[in-house]
Amino acid sequence: MAFLRSRLFWIAAAVVVVAALLPFWVSIYLLSVLTAAYYFGVFAMAWDLLFGFAGEVNFGPTFLIGLGAYTAAILNSTAGLPIPVCVVAGALAAVAGGILLAVPALRLRGPYFGLVTLVAVLLLQNFVVIFASVTGGEIGMTVPDVLSIDASVNYWYALAFLVVCAALLFGLSRSAVGLILQASGQDAVEAAALGFNVTKHKVAAFCVSALFSGTAGAMLIFYMGTASVDTVVDIAIGVQIIIAAVLGGRRTILGAAFGAVFLIVANEFLRPLGQLNTFVVAAIALAVILFFPEGLLGYALHRGERE
Amino acid sequence: MRAIQILVDGFAISSLYSLAAVGFTLIFGVSGVLNLAHGGIMVVAALVGWLAAGELGLGTYAGTLVGVLAGLATAYATYLVVVRPIKRSRAIRPEETEIFVLTGTLLWGIMIQVGMAYLFTDNPVTIRPLISGVVSIFGVRTPANEILIAVLAWAVIGLLWLLVNRTRTGKALLGASMNPRGVTLLGYELTQLYLVAWGIYGVLAGIAGVLLASFLGVSTTNAGQLTASAFSIVVLGGLGSVSGSLIAAYVVGYLETATAYLIAPTLRPIPSLILLVLVVYVRPQGFLGRR
Amino acid sequence: MSGAVRLQVGELAKRFGGVVAVKNMSFDLKAGEIVGLIGPNGSGKSTVMSLIMGIARANSGTIKLDGVDISGWPAHRIARSGVSIVFQHSRPLQRQTVLENVKLALLPDSLLRLATEASVGERAREIAERVGLGGVLHRHPWTLPFADLRRMELAKAVARDPKVVLIDEPFAGLTPTEIKVFSDLIRTLRDEGRAVLLVDHSVKSVVALADRVIAMYLGERIAEGSADEVMQNETVRRVYIGGKIEAVERKSAGAGQAPTLLQLDAVEVFYGKAKALDRVDLRVRQDEFVSIVGLNGAGKTTLFNAISGLVPYRGAIRFGERDLRSQTAASIARGGVVHCPETRELFVHMSVRENLDLGGGHLSKSERQRQLDWVFDLFPILEQRQAQAARTLSGGEQQMLALGRALMMQPKLLILDEPTLGLAPVILGQLSKAIERLRQERSLTLLLAEQNVTFALPHSDRVYVLDHGRITWQGDPVRFAEEMSTGYL
Repeated sequence: MAFLRSRLFWIAAAVVVVAALLPFWVSIYLLSVLTAAYYFGVFAMAWDLLFGFAGEVNFGPTFLIGLGAYTAAILNSTAGLPIPVCVVAGALAAVAGGILLAVPALRLRGPYFGLVTLVAVLLLQNFVVIFASVTGGEIGMTVPDVLSIDASVNYWYALAFLVVCAALLFGLSRSAVGLILQASGQDAVEAAALGFNVTKHKVAAFCVSALFSGTAGAMLIFYMGTASVDTVVDIAIGVQIIIAAVLGGRRTILGAAFGAVFLIVANEFLRPLGQLNTFVVAAIALAVILFFPEGLLGYALHRGERE
Repeated sequence: MRAIQILVDGFAISSLYSLAAVGFTLIFGVSGVLNLAHGGIMVVAALVGWLAAGELGLGTYAGTLVGVLAGLATAYATYLVVVRPIKRSRAIRPEETEIFVLTGTLLWGIMIQVGMAYLFTDNPVTIRPLISGVVSIFGVRTPANEILIAVLAWAVIGLLWLLVNRTRTGKALLGASMNPRGVTLLGYELTQLYLVAWGIYGVLAGIAGVLLASFLGVSTTNAGQLTASAFSIVVLGGLGSVSGSLIAAYVVGYLETATAYLIAPTLRPIPSLILLVLVVYVRPQGFLGRR
Repeated sequence: MSGAVRLQVGELAKRFGGVVAVKNMSFDLKAGEIVGLIGPNGSGKSTVMSLIMGIARANSGTIKLDGVDISGWPAHRIARSGVSIVFQHSRPLQRQTVLENVKLALLPDSLLRLATEASVGERAREIAERVGLGGVLHRHPWTLPFADLRRMELAKAVARDPKVVLIDEPFAGLTPTEIKVFSDLIRTLRDEGRAVLLVDHSVKSVVALADRVIAMYLGERIAEGSADEVMQNETVRRVYIGGKIEAVERKSAGAGQAPTLLQLDAVEVFYGKAKALDRVDLRVRQDEFVSIVGLNGAGKTTLFNAISGLVPYRGAIRFGERDLRSQTAASIARGGVVHCPETRELFVHMSVRENLDLGGGHLSKSERQRQLDWVFDLFPILEQRQAQAARTLSGGEQQMLALGRALMMQPKLLILDEPTLGLAPVILGQLSKAIERLRQERSLTLLLAEQNVTFALPHSDRVYVLDHGRITWQGDPVRFAEEMSTGYL
């Protein structure tokens, strides 16, 4: 396959190797930042699949993430089920949520669909708060099981998860199905005229995006050992995911992962500035939108083409 | 008693909501922009107003005025720094402009929120009431300020109505919201009309911000919530319809107030959320929308 | 020659809201034949195609493919049954190469297939080469010239060996040489035994290519037969050019030496890659009434949009002494060049009076009142309906409102684009009288674009013919009647 020989593959492979070796020379603090960033990367890639490929703007990705996360957390803490089972259950719950979102998406355009996704998050948020006895409400809940206590092991789990998801999602985006998805998202009428059932493909895209979002959300819970609205449901998290994907370059999948890592690391890096770090990150993201709308990776990739 | 209290409080809150929503819908109708920095503009007006009135010692009236002007300035900044460059950018394809403007205003709103909190404070601020005293309405003791707010909100909306329906510029704005090419062919410069529209919007949002500060208090953390409620009201009423926004503002305002009084204050936003979901599924164009 | 009946359309009807787009349309399409569908703007041709392809759903009637009723099927199912369409505007996937775009057309509609079979790549290459894209397989659509984009659309449409091929405006934007090449490609399709239905504004090109021609007007079939038969048909000629072209003697007052008011030199307009106007030279003198006649798609609207500053162009456009390029569209309008467009662009939710007032917005109150009185005198119906919302007016009334609103701006040069479009003959008479009054009562220069030659000629001092973006003829009306009666269509 041409891809295996392409420049992108070798750069990505090199990056992964370096990343895998990081625990040997980097502080535990930085490792934990990167671990969170890797899960965030999966969130962003799943978002990019939906937006870049199916053309649907999801303003509330945390709806799917939160569903996966809380389902896994509740099952683990109330029923004591083992981690893998909980993660799978979380993924399934998220897929159900994805189908729920897909239904209005097919009938509504632009801002209206975006609004539905926002409302979904708000409803989930309120739901969690109301049923505080089970979910821990605004304070959040803890889960008895965690992936590991060792920071390096957690890091490797996260990295492996990111690489697997990236490979799967990227592979999907470059596959025949990915091509059909792109066509469905870019020009639904033409896709239909070419014989593709656009509805079927869009619902599938929602399910795939939900699957990855929910699984990543559940995994994140078992890394952190806690689940709360602030970490997996809040709209602010969703905003960051969108920024990460747009920063990295829409429709590149891998760009979203890079964007996410960049964003999280930048946030930490700027922490000494106190509250201003959010300001700086937002300003950088705004600058990217204004001057490099293709995103950082998108710009790098396409610069070759335009010449 | 309860009923009257709900009626009165609901009216005041709804009037404020309507001011903010009308501005939001105006900008959408004329400029086609869903401004996610809306709450941020209101917050700036409130904070600057508080600063001017209190710390800078200008007194309540002058302070309020300064606050409104700050809102106006922020609205223009939003247009000139974020919205216009994105719309004019040749690197962005026309179909994608909408999402870029949305993300751009979102980021700008975050910058405003955090910037304000850093520069001043993220605690809630209040502006002293413009008039003091308590009035009794049907046996319910209500701050006179609350009445004033409702009256002021309606006065502003009335002025806006006059502007749009009785002045040449106002009618041109209305025309632009229906048919931008049409007004261009009649010799009106769209760029100038947009500047006027954003100016009106800035004043509306600014007034809403300072009034909210004198009624309930405003903090930078409210910015997102304020944008969200303006957004929901406008969608409920119908994107682009001013009268729809007015009606929806009252529906939402009363729903929230009734919920807070009769069920629980924490569940305040829920009924309007549910209503929003219903509307989006059943009648996406809102009560009175025509787009 | 032609074989079995592939497609049977029976009593097809479609309305969009209150507008009837197609009514009682019936025809057959046989294998191995090319049928051309012609008709002026708004006649329903493209709607018929959308209905066959399943993109729009008919209100009533049947569409049978090899005997099976496909009306009501979703588009993708119809596509998989052997019908394909080439849309008017090319719709490539910009981020994919030409080869990948064609491959897409060959893919099965499956959720699970991740890899494409090797044979798919081979077939895609074959198909691309057949339409002449062999040399650009690995390029991206935005690097290709316009004609190649159209080839790619054709390649996608024939990829899965369709029985029926629908082609919407194949020749729009192509040069005469490219039209020849495309016509040959389409002939090949027919010779392979497919049933081809095509729609185009260029009557000449359709007629040269089609085995059978069907003419439509206002949603209905008005003539069917061989190309010659249809072109000679009375109704068809009346619908296209308004009737018999008669010589009209114009008594213009000393037109020859009046100063030039509007001048166009070598004006060219591109829509993306397609050339819409090709080196147009034009001149209008003060107080002249000049007509530009031509069929739909000839470029009349593009020409007017360029003059009004609504589209970018190459070349020079001068109004009096000023070069219009340096001005914004709104300032061009304020400067006296008033454009009343084909689409009218009324403020539909505002009243008639409000529309007119906005037109007079730059005048003082008293001037505006006087102008309004004059417009009401010209069009009494507008005065009657002044409080009504513009969208409640009939087509003819809306046209009068558009014209009245343009007149409120006190134009020095009035540019009127296809005022008769979609109007009943009675209204045409009223409009004609109004234009005559304009000539007599005010010092006004008029540039009129019309497909309806019979309407335009009596009001013209000079005539230009625009065909495929080029001025192909100019002269006075008498000469036009003599020379163009037969050759125009």
